[in-house]
Amino acid sequence: MTDDDQVFKALADPTRRHLLDRLFERDGRTLTELESELEMTRFGVMKHLRVLEQAHLVVARRSGREKLHFLNPVPIRSIHDRWIDKYTEHRVAALADLKTELEETA
Amino acid sequence: MTTMTAQATQVYQLFIKATPEAIWEAITKPEFTIRYYHGARIENTPEHHRGFGPNGEVWGDSPTLEYDPPRRLVHGWQSLYNPEVAEEPESRVTWEIEPQEGGYCLLTVTHDQLEGSPKTAESVSGTGWMMVLSGLKTLLETGDVLDADRG
Repeated sequence: MTDDDQVFKALADPTRRHLLDRLFERDGRTLTELESELEMTRFGVMKHLRVLEQAHLVVARRSGREKLHFLNPVPIRSIHDRWIDKYTEHRVAALADLKTELEETA
Repeated sequence: MTTMTAQATQVYQLFIKATPEAIWEAITKPEFTIRYYHGARIENTPEHHRGFGPNGEVWGDSPTLEYDPPRRLVHGWQSLYNPEVAEEPESRVTWEIEPQEGGYCLLTVTHDQLEGSPKTAESVSGTGWMMVLSGLKTLLETGDVLDADRG
């Protein structure tokens, strides 16, 4: 699997996206903290974190006795540059504006 | 989410296809940093981390805290290039280079101790470190310069 495959696979799950959002709000959280916000077993959260770590979306660092989880923005940026930027030309923006306008007047 | 406060510890991690020695050279020698580090000439010696702008203005002057070529470099950080944030207390930058399979290295940059320096944290987050690190990767992998200003 390429790096991109791992990132897309990691993002293709609502729990993992939720974990990324939690870390975006505040970085450097422990498993216990992350677990407390999810309706899921500790083992389940660990499994999801491992997938995120393998895709390098999350980097775990030791701080004393604690293992802290940090968001690594680099892979998402790479995907943005490679897959989003080039498809968001003016034409797409114009269509998005049209959609907003039509939905607002509807 | 534009109102987010930037994090007091920021971690950036990327793979670079280069030897640890080449990466070490590229992050410690001014003739390399000028090509990807916003045009700054940065000099990392066992004692100092110093950065200079195109006209010799001082952009950074902090002690080196750890110097272990070609694996680990830790130095202080003050954003002297920006008068608005220059007064904030010194923060810390750690570079870790770990060789991987296939001629790659995993480079981890941690900018921490930013608790008392919210403006610095804001200015280096987002595209700040990202531009430097993608420029470094491009330079090492292709020899090209991402940014047009070579100074």
